[in-house]
Amino acid sequence: MTAFVDLYSEGDTFLHRLDPRVKMIAVLTLSLLAFILSGLTNLLCLLAFVFVLMALARAPWAKTYFAMKFVLRFMALIVIMWPLFDRSGTPVLASLGPIVITEPGVLNGLTSAVRVGCLAMVWYILIFTTAQRDLVRALVKMGVRFDFGLTLAITLRFFPSFSMVIASIMDAQRARGLDFSKGGLMKRSKNYVAVLAPAVVTSLRTAQALSLALLSRAYGARSDRTYLRELRMRPLDYVALAVVISLLVLPALAIYVLGMSL
Amino acid sequence: MAQASKFVSPQTVALYGVLTALTAAVTYATFVPFAPTKGYFNLGDSMVFFSSLTFGWRAGAICGGVGSATADILLGSGLFAPYTLVAKGSEGLVSGYITRKNGGKRWVQVAGIAVGGACMVLTYFFSELLILDVSLGAAALEMVGNTVQVIVGGTVGLLLANYVRKAYPSMAKL
Repeated sequence: MTAFVDLYSEGDTFLHRLDPRVKMIAVLTLSLLAFILSGLTNLLCLLAFVFVLMALARAPWAKTYFAMKFVLRFMALIVIMWPLFDRSGTPVLASLGPIVITEPGVLNGLTSAVRVGCLAMVWYILIFTTAQRDLVRALVKMGVRFDFGLTLAITLRFFPSFSMVIASIMDAQRARGLDFSKGGLMKRSKNYVAVLAPAVVTSLRTAQALSLALLSRAYGARSDRTYLRELRMRPLDYVALAVVISLLVLPALAIYVLGMSL
Repeated sequence: MAQASKFVSPQTVALYGVLTALTAAVTYATFVPFAPTKGYFNLGDSMVFFSSLTFGWRAGAICGGVGSATADILLGSGLFAPYTLVAKGSEGLVSGYITRKNGGKRWVQVAGIAVGGACMVLTYFFSELLILDVSLGAAALEMVGNTVQVIVGGTVGLLLANYVRKAYPSMAKL
């Protein structure tokens, strides 16, 4: 299991300097764009664009590999499984008993896989280039209540450490002879109780310590919080914002107003 | 707290943050990709049910919804994150609302898990069918997968809630 602490890595690229709010809006617009595009070529262009952004983010290879591992596995699964369930269309490519594979089925599978790839990769660009504190600060600035933002920050902070806690408890239980790969689904899942119960108790203890830490730093003493560093939009941020919004609006206009099929 | 400020208490913030992180981490640790609708099988539901059975509907809704959606984003299916937020959030909310905080009879807990689980399965089914444009066969197959996941996750969550209550009695004060 990958023992990374944080998917974010320090850097000084264009994407790192961009305002986190602009990056969040970019994730939103690019995701919507992936939904409204239906042509395979256009979606491939979008995927290429997302990959270029990914390269610009200059994330370390190990983290990129972690992200790609999941995305590529999903894409491969869709390409393989989609034609088996989508039997529409006439040019039949192959048939083996009840399994019929048609050309539109294969194409739909490819399109869907590329779309899923786009939707997953845009999130990684945001996560790779934005520190968690910036993400939370941007959310608070956009009107999310501070305590919700703080809860989210705690989640992002503790997700990797709890993953490691679970992995080490699993190792400890394996050393005591617990086998996670034997038996049916129910038996296997019940074995996980032996892992989850200690993990839950550990995390509840963490929560208690954490609440003391929050109290000792006078959390909630004043409702009008101030920040050391304020987020401010710079001219370049506005340019980037205009670019990502036009990236969504122009194809949307072409599709829904001019009636083109993209 | 003396100053009843606009913020919720630090205990609540810490507890919810930690439970949300744990939900995401359990989803990550027990992740098995499941074709054909690019979903995946996991034990994350057990943590959703644990949160809702032990700490009430609010914890179930927030920790279940946000934790599972975070796991979706980190595990490369950001596509599903908004639906997961609704599906798992309603799962935690409904099961927590039915069972009430800290206790209830066994059959009430089981009923809560069943109704909450149904919310999750139906949310996924209809969002896949109507919004994500998945074919009916694939969506129905995933519905079966989700139902199995609720049964397994519910069992584990129920066992977990009762074990942890015995093993860590001061939990009730959190």
